[in-house]
Amino acid sequence: MPKVTINDRTVEVEAGTNVIDAGLKAGVLVPHYCYHPRLTVVGQCRMCLVEITDNGKKMPKLQTACSSYVTKDGWSVRTDTPEVAEAQKGMMEFFLINHPLDCPICDQAGECGLQDYSFKHGVAFSRFQYEDKRTYPGRERIPLGANVVLNMNRCIQCTRCIRFTEEIAGTGELGFFNRGARVEIGTFPGKELSNPLATCVVDVCPVGALTSTRFRFAERVWYLDKKPSLCTGCEVGCNVTMEQRRGDIKRYKPRFNVEVNDYWMCDYGRSTFERYKKLPRLTSPRVRAEGGNGHAPVVNTGWSQALDAVHRRLAGTVPGEIAYLGSGFLTTEEAYLFSKLAGMGGPSHRAVTVDLGPEWTIPRHQRPPITGREAAPNRRGAELAGLAGGEGDLSADDLLHGDGAARCAVLVVCDSDFGQAAWDPEAVARLRQARFLVVFGWADSPLAQAADVALPVAHHGEKDGTFVNVEWRVQRFERAFAPTGQVRPALDVLSDLLGRFEAGWTQLSAATVFDRLAGELPAFSGLSWHRLPATGAALHVPEARPKLSDQAAETATEASA
Amino acid sequence: MATAKFEPVLTRNVGKPEALTLKGYRQLGGYEGLAKALTMEPDAVIDEVKKSGLRGRGGAGFSAGLKWSFIPKRKENEQDKPRYLVCNADESEPGTFKDRLLMENDPHQLIEGCAICCFAVSAATCYVYIRGEYTKSAVILERALKEAYDAGILGDNVLGSGFRLNLYVHRGAGAYICGEETGMLESLEGKRGQPRVKPPFPAIVGAFGAPTVINNVETLCNVPHILTRGADWFKSIGTDEKNTGPKLYAISGHVERPGTYEHPIGITFREMLDAAGGMWKGRQLKAFIPGGASAPILKPDQIDVKMDFDTVAKAGSMLGSAAVIVMDETTCMVRSVARLSKFFNHESCGQCTPCREGTNWMELVLDRLEHGEGTERDAQLLLSICKNIGGQSLCALGDAAIGPVKSLVDRFPEEIEQHVRHRACPFPRPRYFENGA
Repeated sequence: MPKVTINDRTVEVEAGTNVIDAGLKAGVLVPHYCYHPRLTVVGQCRMCLVEITDNGKKMPKLQTACSSYVTKDGWSVRTDTPEVAEAQKGMMEFFLINHPLDCPICDQAGECGLQDYSFKHGVAFSRFQYEDKRTYPGRERIPLGANVVLNMNRCIQCTRCIRFTEEIAGTGELGFFNRGARVEIGTFPGKELSNPLATCVVDVCPVGALTSTRFRFAERVWYLDKKPSLCTGCEVGCNVTMEQRRGDIKRYKPRFNVEVNDYWMCDYGRSTFERYKKLPRLTSPRVRAEGGNGHAPVVNTGWSQALDAVHRRLAGTVPGEIAYLGSGFLTTEEAYLFSKLAGMGGPSHRAVTVDLGPEWTIPRHQRPPITGREAAPNRRGAELAGLAGGEGDLSADDLLHGDGAARCAVLVVCDSDFGQAAWDPEAVARLRQARFLVVFGWADSPLAQAADVALPVAHHGEKDGTFVNVEWRVQRFERAFAPTGQVRPALDVLSDLLGRFEAGWTQLSAATVFDRLAGELPAFSGLSWHRLPATGAALHVPEARPKLSDQAAETATEASA
Repeated sequence: MATAKFEPVLTRNVGKPEALTLKGYRQLGGYEGLAKALTMEPDAVIDEVKKSGLRGRGGAGFSAGLKWSFIPKRKENEQDKPRYLVCNADESEPGTFKDRLLMENDPHQLIEGCAICCFAVSAATCYVYIRGEYTKSAVILERALKEAYDAGILGDNVLGSGFRLNLYVHRGAGAYICGEETGMLESLEGKRGQPRVKPPFPAIVGAFGAPTVINNVETLCNVPHILTRGADWFKSIGTDEKNTGPKLYAISGHVERPGTYEHPIGITFREMLDAAGGMWKGRQLKAFIPGGASAPILKPDQIDVKMDFDTVAKAGSMLGSAAVIVMDETTCMVRSVARLSKFFNHESCGQCTPCREGTNWMELVLDRLEHGEGTERDAQLLLSICKNIGGQSLCALGDAAIGPVKSLVDRFPEEIEQHVRHRACPFPRPRYFENGA
């Protein structure tokens, strides 16, 4: 592999790597706007100009780093010469002379490429004093589609959005119109930017020209607290950054993971957190008073009374008459503890249910696209962790569409928002046929209201855990903020509950539970919470699709091309 | 090199309407070059052109033979891989009107040149990309094309040699930037006409991803003559080894008889001016642009400059497309350059930052100067903008746009000063300027 020296730091890169990527490897950021690792190189923002010396021979002009590919030894690149600095300064001036400089009212402010590079490479005064700025009257807030708004005045014409719709989404709704200084971005006549990945153009836009309808004016970005998380919209498990302020989630942004979602995520996924704000929240444990044949009023209680009630009931029932209905929204660790609970004193019925939703597909680099259909992130994890129904167990279908619940002395529903059925009176009535109904969950769904004991647990923004995605890849996510009120993470609650049966279960964290299940379940063997790679780890599941290594995927795509 | 005895080569058939027909063109000695080329090895044709020293007449002055030799040789298993010749007939540099003359008066000469080039680089397809506004040229060329197909000069079996060649006329939609070679390819492919990032160069990845030669009309028109009369004859015309052959000069502006003239390359500007009848109404020469709108402006002290690629470059300008624009003493240089800047701003494709923003800014500053609203710092500002565009834009349009502006500041600083000091343009204002034109 050829070696290249960038600002005196030498790195070895794969032949054909461009200087921007080589720079990143060497720890040097070459400023750039139009270059994106997944989009065609067009070399048009001219911000990445660098000085390249080829075996002691300086190239006559500054070269764009994005379109200069290291193919052999002997290149020396400098990004810090006066000449380069001068060029960068000049380019920043060009970018800003016609930019409205409306940062105080711009959503991008704080994460804006123009602000960042202005600080680093620009000048603090303007020589554009006597002329009028170019404006696009009437094109300051053009809805390109349902989710994206364009402000043409702020645009720097990098065409990343156009290339995204052409090359990644494959829909090509956006185009470059007009010419010269009047050049504009827009949708082609009769088209709107409505592809499932549309909001990604907001992410690739380095400035505030494209903003997301969902996030517009929602928050100044410097107030956002960010944590690595996972999307719960489907079984793909897109890596996201959960950005919130004081427990109020403001947006999901895709987080790069070459194995799963690359740089992208779908618009539906970005909307999934809104559920946590829109739907009523279960805020304290509720226990139904004794008697009244299931129609007695429920009263708010403390945790210990509620857990005592559940423990009493579970301990006093033959395990064969207890059923656990798991869901694809449980973390693997929670599912593991539920399965332990279900095994206390003998095997109980277990089942996992997920809804089937529309298909969501994310294109990936050098790998086949990844598609999810189940409307929950972790059916596989929940089943692997021990909630999969065995031979003779009541199935989810029996419980939700048949009279299976009537045969249960105790039915434990592990998630009050496991799917549409939890909000459907008929399905709730069927589940209610169980003589005693325990519901865990964050949402105060009709199901939770029908329960004899309803236990408020954290939603996925408030807890740590892992999900196993459609390709059997286990991925970790982190708690973004603490739950409010009496809400507790389900792991806490379950370890308390398990502790009432036998010692050794109290005070479990996601990390300890994961390590414990990794020691026990063959699929997870060899993994540990703290050593789980940022891109997740492929599980050893016999029926799992083989993990495509880069090499194999490359040959596969070459063969199909 | 006795210029007096110089016989026109490229324009020998101009004014002979019979040359428009295939029969007439053949009677005048046409298609002999092609016939000769077909008996040679393709590499020998390239060598002959290389030896002649023919340089591209589109503006850059790059050796034509060398350009052809960059086309990669076909490997055994690539016999079907296409390669193309694209003839650049998108003549849109302000002041240039030489290719039009050739196409309208001697279309077969161009077809012959294209055919020879295609044979030399073994391209089976040639596109002639004609500027959108050149309707007449396109019609004439199409007519000639039909005749050539019918006579078996084009098609599956060129002159019975077994060589296959299809030639198409493709009309542009009228954009200066489509005269830039990669912008032309994009337009040809049906995309938005904007230049591509280079490398890869068109010789490797050109039209439709295949190796492509792109030559100007005048360049290709020279080729048949090189083959019929030989490289040595061609080299005998011109100033030196590097500047050879006949050259068309399109002279316009304040001269008595503006038009396209054919001279041996390297004639001095003074001789050229005389051939065009001298200055209009006997006025004084104030400035001249030797090579189209993008060439820096020269002052009268360069009147004896030899009009070839290297000498003009040494004099601080460029020969470009050899479109000579002559200006007399009544011309306001600031206004002229402002108008040129307006052109480049209007024609910039808008994809790369320095050209998109810089040409616009230059136009605004020059307009301000011309209207008497300039400041002392504007000259420096213009130079600084030029510096930030120069060499840093994606294609050559940025460099083209700064040529006139830089030469204005460097060579006519006193005129800028006058504009600033008088707070108005000291020159008479032509009427068309009043309507905001």
